[in-house]
Amino acid sequence: MNFMSRLLRQREYGLTAVILIIGASVAFIDTGFLAAGNLKDLIIRCAPTAIVACGVMLVVLTGEIDISVGSLMALLAALMGMMISETRMEISMWLGLPATLLLGTLVGAFTGALVTLGKVPSIIVTLGLLTALRGLTTLIMGGNNIDGLPDGLGQMTKYGVLGMPISVWTAIAVIIVTGVIITKTALGRRLFAVGSSRYSAKMVGLNETRLKLFAFAYTGFLTGLATVVDVPRLPKIEAGIGIGFELLVITCVVVGGVSISGGRGKLRGVLLAVLLMTMIRPALTFMDVGESGEKWTRAIQGMFILLAVITDSIVQRRRKRRLHDL
Amino acid sequence: MPPFIRVSGLSKSYGGVHALKRVCMDIAKGEIHALCGENGAGKSTLIKSLTGVVIPEEGTISIDGKPLPPGNVQASEAAGIAVIHQESTAFPSLNTLDNIFVGREPFTAGGLFLDKARMRGEATKMLKRLGQNFDIDCPVIELSVAQRQMVAMARALSQKCEFLILDEPTASLSAKETDSLLAIVRQLRNEGVTILYVSHRLEEIFEIADRVTVLRDGERVDTQSVANLNRSALIFLMVGRELEELTQRHEHAGEPGEVRLEVLGLTNPGVFENIDLRIQAGEIVGLAGLVGAGRSEIARAIFGLDRYSKGKVKVNGQMLTGGSVKQAMSAGLSLVPEDRQHEGLILPMSVGANLSMAVLGKLTNRGLVDPRLERDLVEKLMSDLLIKAASQEFPAETLSGGNQQKLVIGKWIAAKPQVLILDEPTRGVDIAAKAQVHRLIRNLASKGLATLIISSDMNEVLSISDRIIVMREGRISGEIRGREATRELVLDLALPQEKEVLA
Repeated sequence: MNFMSRLLRQREYGLTAVILIIGASVAFIDTGFLAAGNLKDLIIRCAPTAIVACGVMLVVLTGEIDISVGSLMALLAALMGMMISETRMEISMWLGLPATLLLGTLVGAFTGALVTLGKVPSIIVTLGLLTALRGLTTLIMGGNNIDGLPDGLGQMTKYGVLGMPISVWTAIAVIIVTGVIITKTALGRRLFAVGSSRYSAKMVGLNETRLKLFAFAYTGFLTGLATVVDVPRLPKIEAGIGIGFELLVITCVVVGGVSISGGRGKLRGVLLAVLLMTMIRPALTFMDVGESGEKWTRAIQGMFILLAVITDSIVQRRRKRRLHDL
Repeated sequence: MPPFIRVSGLSKSYGGVHALKRVCMDIAKGEIHALCGENGAGKSTLIKSLTGVVIPEEGTISIDGKPLPPGNVQASEAAGIAVIHQESTAFPSLNTLDNIFVGREPFTAGGLFLDKARMRGEATKMLKRLGQNFDIDCPVIELSVAQRQMVAMARALSQKCEFLILDEPTASLSAKETDSLLAIVRQLRNEGVTILYVSHRLEEIFEIADRVTVLRDGERVDTQSVANLNRSALIFLMVGRELEELTQRHEHAGEPGEVRLEVLGLTNPGVFENIDLRIQAGEIVGLAGLVGAGRSEIARAIFGLDRYSKGKVKVNGQMLTGGSVKQAMSAGLSLVPEDRQHEGLILPMSVGANLSMAVLGKLTNRGLVDPRLERDLVEKLMSDLLIKAASQEFPAETLSGGNQQKLVIGKWIAAKPQVLILDEPTRGVDIAAKAQVHRLIRNLASKGLATLIISSDMNEVLSISDRIIVMREGRISGEIRGREATRELVLDLALPQEKEVLA
C-alpha cells in the first residue's frame, strides 16, 4: 500500500496529519498556542465530546443514529440542578448525581426501544426527541436559570484531582471501557456485525434488538455522565445548554471514519476527530480572526464533514474498482 | 438404523400461500442428499425451518433421534446444523476471523474477553483443511465470491457441523471454482458430514449426490437414488411435464440479415485484447468462457460503461465514440446487466414503472409523463413478453423469479433496440422460467434482433446460440457454429492452455 492510499484508507493517518499541520501552523503564528495552560484547556474542552462520542459511535456502528444528545444533556442538566441545587430541592448530590445517570440511561433505552421495538427509523425518533427534550427542558426550568450547585461539585469539576478536572479522568475511563468493549468483547463484535449486515446477523442468531438497545442506553448513560462531570463547571445552568452538541458529536463520529451505514469504524479515529474539531476554535483565536471566530468554527467543522464523506466515497470507489479487477 | 435427519409433516404458509405442505423426508447419516425444485417449490422454506429461522406451523424435525426445537437458530446451530447460502451471507465489513466466529465467539478463562489466539489458530486450521490460503484480516468484501464461500464453509466447520446445507453454492462460481467446491464437499462427506445440496445445476447433482428429493409447489414429489435417474427424468419430476426446449438444439430459422454490431480490435490492456465481433440481424451469438475471462467487461465497453484504449464499435453502421451510454442507446444498443437484482429492477416499484423506466423520455408530453402512452406501452410489452402479473400496478417484487427476469429484459426491449446484449440472462432462475426466457430471446431474434448472450451456463450457450465465440484470458480463442458445438469443444477453448515449452 503506498503512502497516498494509506492516508486515504486509514482515517487515523489523515487526521493525525491534519492535526499536526494545523497545530504547527498556529504555533508558528503564536507559540502561546502550545503553552501548557492552553493545551490543558483544549483537553478539558475535548472531554464531554469524547465521552458522548464513545456512545454515539456504537449507535452508528449498528447502523443507527442518535441526534438527540444535545437536548438530552440540557434536560439532564436541568433535572440535576433541580435536584441538588441549594436553592431548589437540595437533595444530597450522592443521590442526585446517580439519579441523573439513571435518567440518562432510561431515556437512552427508551430511544432504543422506539427504534427497535417501535420500528421507527432512528433519525426520525431522535429528531423528534431533539425538539421534545429541549421543549421539556424549557418547561421544567420555567424561564429561570439554576445556580447554587454544591461547592464541592464545582471544585471537582473545575479543578479536580491531580491537576485535571474529573471530566478528563472520566473521559479517559470511558475511552478505555469503550475500547475494551469494541476490541475485546463479543458484544463489540456483534455491534459491528449487526451494522455490517442485519440479514446475516439474523441468520447467525444475533439479537438485533438487544444490541441496539444497549448502544442507545449506553449513549444515554454517557450523556448523563458528561452532564454530571462537565456542566457544574458553568456558573449557572441555562435551558440553552448543549445546543448544537449533537451535531458536533455526529461530526466527530463521521469525520473519525465511522461508516454512517454501520459496521465500520475505529475509536482512535473518532478521538482524533474530537481533538481536531475542538482545536479549531482556539486555533482561530490564536490566529486573531477576532469577532467572527464562532462563525468560522462552524464553517470549518462543516468543511471537514464534507472532506470526510468525499474521502470515503473515493475509498469505496477504489475498492470497487479493485474488486472489478479481480 | 434410524435416519440422521427426519422431517415429518412440515407445513408453513405465508399469507395463505402454502410454502410447504406436510413435507416428509429422511436423510441418512453421511450421505449427500440433493434437494431440487423450481423457484417457489419450497426449498428455501424447508432450509429455513431446519436452521430455525422460520417457525413451521405443523410438523417436526429430529436430528439423530432427538427433536429439534422449532424457530431457534441457536438450538439448530448447537445440534450441528449449518447452512451456506447462495449469496454467501457474510458481514461484508468484518474480516474473515470475525465472520467465522461472530455469534459464538470463544472466550478467555474469565469469560469476559475474546480468545483471539484461539480464534486465529482455529480459523487458520479450518482454511487449511479447505485448501485455502488468504489474508484472514482483510474485510471479506475484498475477497472473491468463492473465497467468501470458503469463509462460510470454515464457519460451518468450526462449529463442529454434522449437517451442512449448501444452498445454491455454485450460482456465482466459475467452472474451476465449482470443481474445487465439489471436491471439498466430497471430502467433507468422507469425513462423516451429512450434506443437503440444493442446486439448479442438475449436472452437479448427478455428479455429487447420492440421493435426491424433489419438491414441487411445497410438496415432496419423490425421493430417488440418483443412480436411478437421468436428467430428463429429474426435470420431469421437478416440472411435472417434459421440457422439450431445453433438450433440443435450437436451429436458426432463416438466413441472417445485415450486420448490426461490428467490433474491431477492441482492446483494454490487461482486461481484453484485440476483440473482433460481427453480429447480424436475427442472429444469436453466445459468448462463452470462464468467469473472469473478460466477457462482461467487453459488454460494458461496447455499451459505453467502460472506456477502451483501442478499437472500433459500430452499431447499425454508426461508429460509436466510446464511453457514452447515451450514444450507444440511441444507435440501437441495449445491455441487460448481470446483477439484475441490484441494477436491473426497482423491486418496490410497480411492474409498469419498471417497464417504462428506460424510455420515459419518449413518453412525455410537454415535460410530463403521459399516463396513457405509458399504459399502452406497458400493456403491449406485458403481452409480448407473456409477463404474468395481476396488474401493471403491482410491485415488481410480487412477481415470480422468471417473470422478474422477463421484466428486466422487457425494460430494455421497450427502447426497441436492434442489438441486445444479455449478461447472464438466466442466472439463479429455475428451469421453467429459463425456458420462457429462452423462448422470448428466440422470438425476438426471429423478428430481426441481433443478440449477444454472455452465459456461464454451458447448456444455455449450447442450446440457444447460432454461433459460439469462446474467450480465454481476455482474448477470443475460437468460434464454433451452433450445430457443431459440443461441451468438450467449448471447454477446450475456454480452459487455460498448458504453457508451451520454449524451444
